[in-house]
Amino acid sequence: MQLEFTLNGMVRRLDVEPDETLLDVVRERLGLTGTKEGCDEGECGACTVLIDDRPVDSCIYPALAVEGLAVRTVEALSAPDGALSHLQRAFVDRAAVQCGFCTPGLLMTLTALLESNQNPSSSEVDDAIAGNICRCTGYSAIREAVRRAVEEVSA
Amino acid sequence: MTAIGARSPRSDAEAKVRGLANYGVDYSETGMLHARLLRSPAAAGRITRLDVEVAGRMPGVYAVATAAEAPPHRSGLILMDTPFFADDVVRYEGEPIAMVVAESERLADDAVSSIVLEIEESTPVSDVGQALAPGAVLVHPDLETYQSVPGAAPWPRSGNAGGILTSDPEGVDGAFAAADVVVEDVYVVPRQYQAYLEPKSATASYDGHRWTIHVSHQFPHNVRTRVAQALGVELSRVRVVGEHIGGAFGARLDLGLEQFAALGASMTGRTVKLVNNRSEDLISCMSRENATIRVRSGVMKDGRIVARDFECLMDGGAYAGDTPYLTSIALLMAGSVYRVDTARVVAKSVYTNTAPTGAFRGVSGTYICFAIERHMDQLAHAIGMDRREFRLLNLFESGDAMLNGQVLDDADILSEAFDRVEEVAPWAETGTGMLRGVGIASAIWLTNPLAGSATVTLHEDGHIGVSTAATENGSGAVAMGVRQIAAGEFDVAAEDVFITLPDTDSQAYDAGSQGSRTTHVVGMAVHNAATQMKTRLFDIASGLLNLLPEDLELRGGNVCMRGDASVSVPLAEVAGAALRSGGPLSATGSYSVPLPKWDPDAADGLLFPAFPVPTYHVHLAEVEVDPVDGRVRVTRYVVAQEVGRMINPDGVYGQIQGGVAQGVGYALWEGLENVEGRYTRRTLESYGLPLAVDIPDVEMIVLEHPHEAGPFGAKGVAEPPIVPVAAAIANAVADATGANIVRLPIDPEQVLNALDMRDS
Amino acid sequence: MFRAVTTVDAALRALDELGPGAQVIAGGTDVMIQRMTGSLSKSEPLVHIGRISEMRGVSLGSESITIGALSTHRDIRTDPILAAHLPSFVQASSTVGGWQTQEVGTIGGNVCNASPAADLGAPLLMAQATLVLVSSGGERRLQAADFFLGRRQTALEFGELLTAIEVPIPAPGSWETYIKIGRRSAMEVAIVGLAARFVVDGAVSAARLAFCSVAPRPMRVPDAEVSLVGTMLEDEAIAAAGRLCASAVSPIDDQRATASYRTSVVPRLVRQAAEACRSELV
Repeated sequence: MQLEFTLNGMVRRLDVEPDETLLDVVRERLGLTGTKEGCDEGECGACTVLIDDRPVDSCIYPALAVEGLAVRTVEALSAPDGALSHLQRAFVDRAAVQCGFCTPGLLMTLTALLESNQNPSSSEVDDAIAGNICRCTGYSAIREAVRRAVEEVSA
Repeated sequence: MTAIGARSPRSDAEAKVRGLANYGVDYSETGMLHARLLRSPAAAGRITRLDVEVAGRMPGVYAVATAAEAPPHRSGLILMDTPFFADDVVRYEGEPIAMVVAESERLADDAVSSIVLEIEESTPVSDVGQALAPGAVLVHPDLETYQSVPGAAPWPRSGNAGGILTSDPEGVDGAFAAADVVVEDVYVVPRQYQAYLEPKSATASYDGHRWTIHVSHQFPHNVRTRVAQALGVELSRVRVVGEHIGGAFGARLDLGLEQFAALGASMTGRTVKLVNNRSEDLISCMSRENATIRVRSGVMKDGRIVARDFECLMDGGAYAGDTPYLTSIALLMAGSVYRVDTARVVAKSVYTNTAPTGAFRGVSGTYICFAIERHMDQLAHAIGMDRREFRLLNLFESGDAMLNGQVLDDADILSEAFDRVEEVAPWAETGTGMLRGVGIASAIWLTNPLAGSATVTLHEDGHIGVSTAATENGSGAVAMGVRQIAAGEFDVAAEDVFITLPDTDSQAYDAGSQGSRTTHVVGMAVHNAATQMKTRLFDIASGLLNLLPEDLELRGGNVCMRGDASVSVPLAEVAGAALRSGGPLSATGSYSVPLPKWDPDAADGLLFPAFPVPTYHVHLAEVEVDPVDGRVRVTRYVVAQEVGRMINPDGVYGQIQGGVAQGVGYALWEGLENVEGRYTRRTLESYGLPLAVDIPDVEMIVLEHPHEAGPFGAKGVAEPPIVPVAAAIANAVADATGANIVRLPIDPEQVLNALDMRDS
Repeated sequence: MFRAVTTVDAALRALDELGPGAQVIAGGTDVMIQRMTGSLSKSEPLVHIGRISEMRGVSLGSESITIGALSTHRDIRTDPILAAHLPSFVQASSTVGGWQTQEVGTIGGNVCNASPAADLGAPLLMAQATLVLVSSGGERRLQAADFFLGRRQTALEFGELLTAIEVPIPAPGSWETYIKIGRRSAMEVAIVGLAARFVVDGAVSAARLAFCSVAPRPMRVPDAEVSLVGTMLEDEAIAAAGRLCASAVSPIDDQRATASYRTSVVPRLVRQAAEACRSELV
């Protein structure tokens, strides 16, 4: 079936199967492998993308349901000139990345958080990323990176 | 040396935040085929029918492999007990039986579904007690005919015990008889799944003679060895290329899917990719083994521990993997940290009809520490002594020896660690109040000594290239540690050092990211390479500066006159000059840690004999118990860890925080139980990984006692922060509830029952 | 097949046309997983109703509050009308999965999926909600108690669509809560959930206690509710109600918890809810 949607600002038109997930389309068909598949069941959040600015687990989201909508993935977080977003920069500088497999999903969820709440409390951050599992860091550096990004934006 | 101790971002961080880092699952080649495995749905039984004819004729199917197509011999990490595919017998649920290679994953899936498989099921040997009972069914009736790998020391094994460690010095029973009080406890722990976020995968191609395998793996050289062994070919016919690793924690040290992808590649002549879905990954993973630990100790009323009996029964699953090695940890921990006059130690790794178990950060140390530290609390109670005071009374000092005879000449660090924890979290004031408790636990841990190497090149722009087969599993040991050590050696910024990914064709042997070895061992290899290269570098620079080599030093990207940085030549210029004077500046260094002295007669079956470059650890946990549902909340967590020297503080903090989080998961939520050989939790959703909402920020005290050999004094860091966590938390819960916590995870039901018992 | 519709009429036409096998999908957080794992057949057509805007949103009427079946958990969690009148719904939706699930998962999906552990089942039953079921033949309205038939079984018939949930506005003096027990603080399927409401006018004039995850379908415990009427939520009254609840439930052992744990938690939950109410209202 025909699907037309906007991916990272570019209109994409392609044929997809009814059961294809948004993750399949992004990774396999369109070759953007920054979005990761961790669990195939909407538990780990590694596959989080933004659909019209809302975080969604793309591994269990039917691709055809994004008809006409705007999808953003990790590849779209940096500025057109390549500069990292404040959040990406803070993840790098505050050592919020270890293996990095959860990182794209976390960045998407936290980008949605910071776009809707410029100064989230620590518990709001923890609550926002309850659906993003990081097995490496123990979350502390991620919290610190969010604080750093908030400071950078308000500075 | 600005790079040493700097909080430099890891070298791969930017690629990772941009989504540009390629992991094993992201790797692909043009014309690649996809494989899927048929795994056993039964835990034990005999295959009575395996018909792949329909599958083989399906459109888009290139090959179907079963035991008939695979090499007939068995293989293994230490004991060659594992068939390529299950042939007539299946020994665990999830054991590979057949593989389909097809044009797409979907076609491969469909073809796998069309395979006719009939298994005459038998009652599985599903736990260690059953396996060791008299007359038990043998998981491997032919155990005695299995060969160990070349070079392995012999070790005892028999029946369902694949590895047996025994230390039975004279006089233990007599010492018990003389004790004032004898206390015995039995502890039971479940399996813990590593739950790395990137599922296992492998992509292989074959050129008619050699295989190339792309994989995210902690130990590419072991993949080479083990794939060659499984295929029955010389190891140089296998090339392994490492991709970025999406978490590992020990689960990517032995073979995963590599041998199957390799077989598919040589059967089809095409590149073949094989990826686990999450459920099969969980079910087939070599998780941390479940175990039962019995500890009996004799103490005097004055607090001295005069005798100990320690028995550790480890469930190795259907194939031995590395578990015969891990029995040794029992000897290395049963009488360490706290003095014990004499001890008898028996540890067995036991075959069952469950998925093979294996390495997970801290291996058996996590539950041995849990057992011993819980038992220490029980001993203190038995003689009416404060738990912390009892520990300090028996605490190792420099010069004390472990049960393997290894003398620890820096064990005084333990006492320093206890003191430092006391400064931030005074024992008397912590964990007080209703349903609150405090626990403390301590450990000594090793730096894995196995060999590694690195090639260091000074490029013509003055940048340093490091080529090593050491793997960056996420810990930062390569992307921070090795990189900053190289920067420190040449006094350049960390940003001026780049590191290549592993490739077994072009890099010498490296023993993989295990046991916190990379920063120390590969750092030393870098140091050795740099030392070697500097001879020529100074030689060439001395010509350029008209100074003697011994009057030169490296400073800020230049070779300078010692003490006068104004007389200098940039490294770039020296590298350029080298091309006209003998060729590029490049050198390879190797290293392995010399083993400390131990007593070879200390035990029978001691395959893993000592703790080289030991580090020292004290953890304190404060918890709160919810009286409504019995949930435990960790309200405060303090770690004092000795690291030698911090190469990158963020790297050290990250490993401590992350290790503690995995330990909290082990203590409170995680665990794989089986019923009749089948895991009850089969998805990440039901497994219960630690979430941001439940993990506190750990308070960290880092102790630095630089190691004399280097590199810059660094010792292993990453593995031990998980070791004492379950112990500290269990002791805190016991303190809060008054219950003797003997089982992990400390689930709400266990706690609620304890509260009910206390209140009734 | 994937048929996307944007009106209720189009959805009903699609259901009639595609026949009984058709699967209705909104946020997909359950349907997609069930199709992947084989609990639902992958060969059956999907009718995607996620964009029917007339089925989304919360409105306040004179006697009841109407919640569109396509209101997401995020909608419910952040809705001021529900926060003011039906906080147990807000609390229940806040505990469903993570943010990602709450953004697309709907109350209608949670209810129609009819998992014994469905969080919204308990507040629906407790609040005596009415479910509006529409088909090409017309509309019928069912009490929540008549809608849930068993584990993953509802009164929904082929060709019918749950379009809205109507909840009577609680009487003055009402206090309510939803408490969920899980091993971790989030991302849990309920081990036990309790939606409780006490109407307090000096003493308790009415009480409602509805549980999920302790029986094949959400359940109320009328005996326990009646036992609290006329009390001041004294400790003994709470304990008695808790005992009645514990003996009424019929939980099972599963991978998350044992039946005996669930049973032992039930009276403790009643106590937690009642004590919280007492400290505010009595």
